Amino acid sequence: MVNSDEEPRIGVYICDCGVNIAGVLDNDELREYAATLPNVVKSERYKFMCSEIGQKLIQEDIENGEINRVVVAACSPRMHENTFRKATREAGLNEFLFEQANIREHDSWVHMRQQDDAQSIAQDIVRMAVAKASKLEPLEVMKVEVKPSALVIGAGIAGINVAKDLGDQGFDVTLVEKTPTIGGHMAQLDKTFPTMDCSACIITPEMVEVGNHPNINILNYAEVTKVDGFVGNFKVEITKKPHYVDQEACTGCGGCSDVCPVITGNEFDEGMKERKAIYLPFPQAVPNKFTIDMDHCIKCELCKDECEPDAINFDDKPKKIEKEFGTIIVTTGYKAFDPSDYTPYGFGRFPNVITGLQMERELSSFGPTVGKPVRPSDGKAPHSIAFFQCVGSRSFQPGMNNYCSRVCCMYAMKQARQYKEKHPEAEIYILYMDIRAFGKGYEEFYEIAAREYGINFIRGRAAEVFENPENNNIIIRAEDTLLKRPIELEVDMVVLSVGLEAQEDATVISRLLNVSQTADGFFMEAHPKLRPIDTLSDGIFVAGVAQGPKDIPDTVAQAKGAASGAASLMAQGEVEIEPYFSVINNALCSSCLSCVDLCPYTAISYDKLANLVTINKALCKGCGTCTAACPCNAITQNHFKVSQIMAMIDTAIPTR
Amino acid sequence: MVLIKEQIKKIDKSIVEEVVEDELLERFKSCYQCGTCTGGCPSGRRAAIRTRDVIRQALVGLDDDLLSSDLLWLCSTCYTCYERCPRDVPTTDIIIKLRNIASHRGLMKGPHLAVSKMLIETGHGVPINDEKWSNLRKSLKLTPLPPTVHSFPEAVKEVQTIIKELKFDELIAYGEEVKKKLAEEEKKRAPERIEELEAELKQLKEEAGK
Repeated sequence: MVNSDEEPRIGVYICDCGVNIAGVLDNDELREYAATLPNVVKSERYKFMCSEIGQKLIQEDIENGEINRVVVAACSPRMHENTFRKATREAGLNEFLFEQANIREHDSWVHMRQQDDAQSIAQDIVRMAVAKASKLEPLEVMKVEVKPSALVIGAGIAGINVAKDLGDQGFDVTLVEKTPTIGGHMAQLDKTFPTMDCSACIITPEMVEVGNHPNINILNYAEVTKVDGFVGNFKVEITKKPHYVDQEACTGCGGCSDVCPVITGNEFDEGMKERKAIYLPFPQAVPNKFTIDMDHCIKCELCKDECEPDAINFDDKPKKIEKEFGTIIVTTGYKAFDPSDYTPYGFGRFPNVITGLQMERELSSFGPTVGKPVRPSDGKAPHSIAFFQCVGSRSFQPGMNNYCSRVCCMYAMKQARQYKEKHPEAEIYILYMDIRAFGKGYEEFYEIAAREYGINFIRGRAAEVFENPENNNIIIRAEDTLLKRPIELEVDMVVLSVGLEAQEDATVISRLLNVSQTADGFFMEAHPKLRPIDTLSDGIFVAGVAQGPKDIPDTVAQAKGAASGAASLMAQGEVEIEPYFSVINNALCSSCLSCVDLCPYTAISYDKLANLVTINKALCKGCGTCTAACPCNAITQNHFKVSQIMAMIDTAIPTR
Repeated sequence: MVLIKEQIKKIDKSIVEEVVEDELLERFKSCYQCGTCTGGCPSGRRAAIRTRDVIRQALVGLDDDLLSSDLLWLCSTCYTCYERCPRDVPTTDIIIKLRNIASHRGLMKGPHLAVSKMLIETGHGVPINDEKWSNLRKSLKLTPLPPTVHSFPEAVKEVQTIIKELKFDELIAYGEEVKKKLAEEEKKRAPERIEELEAELKQLKEEAGK
């Protein structure tokens, strides 16, 4: 191991990154420039530093004893810091004596039209990295234990698959679901595209399997309310909402529901069917136990008299459960776009305008119309139906979403085909702008919808609708953009293909777990290509629509990926943590406690008796807040020491 | 027939650039041709205005066809399409901008030129220049002339000063000039055109004979 007291001998390696960097910068000039910098003993250039040959260049120089510090001027450290650190370590040098200069994202990509300026910026970036490298100190990687237990938040098809995969591997899984039943949106669907297999037939056995799994503990009607700790050791508080029905005693017989006099809309049926105040969301719910909806209950206590096992308990209180978990997987899914505020489509005003999910319930054999869709105004089967695509999606209007929801084209065609199977004489129109049938077997599905089923595709977005007051028909105005003609179309019913949105409480989860959201509200992955199911918080994974709109096959694939990511962490039993934590020099500390209040990760604690401030290395994320705030300069942060940062600043502004 | 490849090369120099001089109008490049504008256009129900088509033609740089067409002038600027556009394209503002560009190229329509000339001369786009209008006003128990420049002829000078300051008169004069030039060109082409039509007629007759 190289001694940090040795004079720094820096090797600078400039990466062309194909044309990404060398297409803009003159890398030979940069290499010559780097050679003139203090402490630089070697300066090289190569086409792809991240390749095996590139890494060998560095390793040979280390092994020959030529250099004891490494600077690679290439892409962002988020891309390849780990690659080069590993190479440095394998060659026998402490990996924290490596520094990456980002001349791609910070320079060649953003200044590709100002080559001269880009060149001088590249020089600045390299000069600063060299200055920091001279001051780098070796650090030791820390290891922490990973508990073999996982918390899965949200029990839709994604959460169920994660739980099942992890449970099968022997990990202790807790599956938290905020509604009274697991199953999520998929349980609401009738059939699934493109194979037209029955959704309930796929998901109900999985629900039962998860429900009976020895390693899976389902906490339904519960929410995560507090998360502390760090990778491998999350301390989580889960609040179980009161069911007002003893879940152990309830046999699911339904006697209570029969006598309950309160009728309200069933969320599971998208309000198209009623339920009682004491209810089971749907007959196949797991767990198959009743819950009282206290927002609607009138406390007549008829159910209490009826209940044979005497399970009703009006004094039920929320219960707090605390548990430690090694990993957390977020599978909170989505909420369908609510079109009520978009007045041109008349949803909520005209009874015969319904949403895609409502149509799905109508098509379902255990839905409000037992699989025979009718129009809400008169209960008759519609002869003509128009589907409006991109409702709430691909729109810049306030309250709508810019992105494509990725499933609406397919589900509209699926519902159209299903209705045509039941009513071959029906006229079906799909008003679309682009049909996005990109999955396996989807394009074929689209073609068959047009050719065999005779569904009419009209390229144009519906502009507005009116109701025919005589028969509640819907009159649509749009443009057939391919005919370049405005059209007017009268149909019996309109189905709005509403898009998918992030859950309303996604922000709450985001704050609890310290997981970022993208601008559209979905959770952000660590890297869109290479780490699509990891988040930037170690030990926390995300899968399914919680990460962004996707269909069932993609959701399940992600769920399996997330399960595998979490399993590999837990199977190792311990995980390496970057030693970027802050270190406190108690001799300098005046115990002002500014840092204790400011620390966003509650990593700093104060022992009053000993008058000692301590920083928990595992909790500390190395954000530097305390370092900057400390009035006594008692706190230093590893790898970002004041001397290291000042060296960069001094060389960045040499004339200062 | 426009060769699309050549057309695309031309776009950079076309009105697209002129239109997007204004940052607000830049957004029209994100149009995805959904037809919400045309589908909900109250004017388009009655007249030939096809808003999406106007935007499309402007986007692909079909300058000559678009700027000289009647389409541009049929919009009543009610802003329905503007309000509904899912891509936030300021459709109505773009049409107004295109009209400005057309006017500056001398492509204002005849009736508009006539109205503008009236305005310059009398201070009214539709002046009360006929006895029947005064009579109509009288029958409605109104004064024969309204309290506008008609009642205060000296104010016409003020209107004309404003018009001169804004160089509106030059614009109209240029429009007249272009109109005349186009009419002359049309006239020159007339004999050719007659020949063409005669040939066509002959062919039709032959076919009918068969």
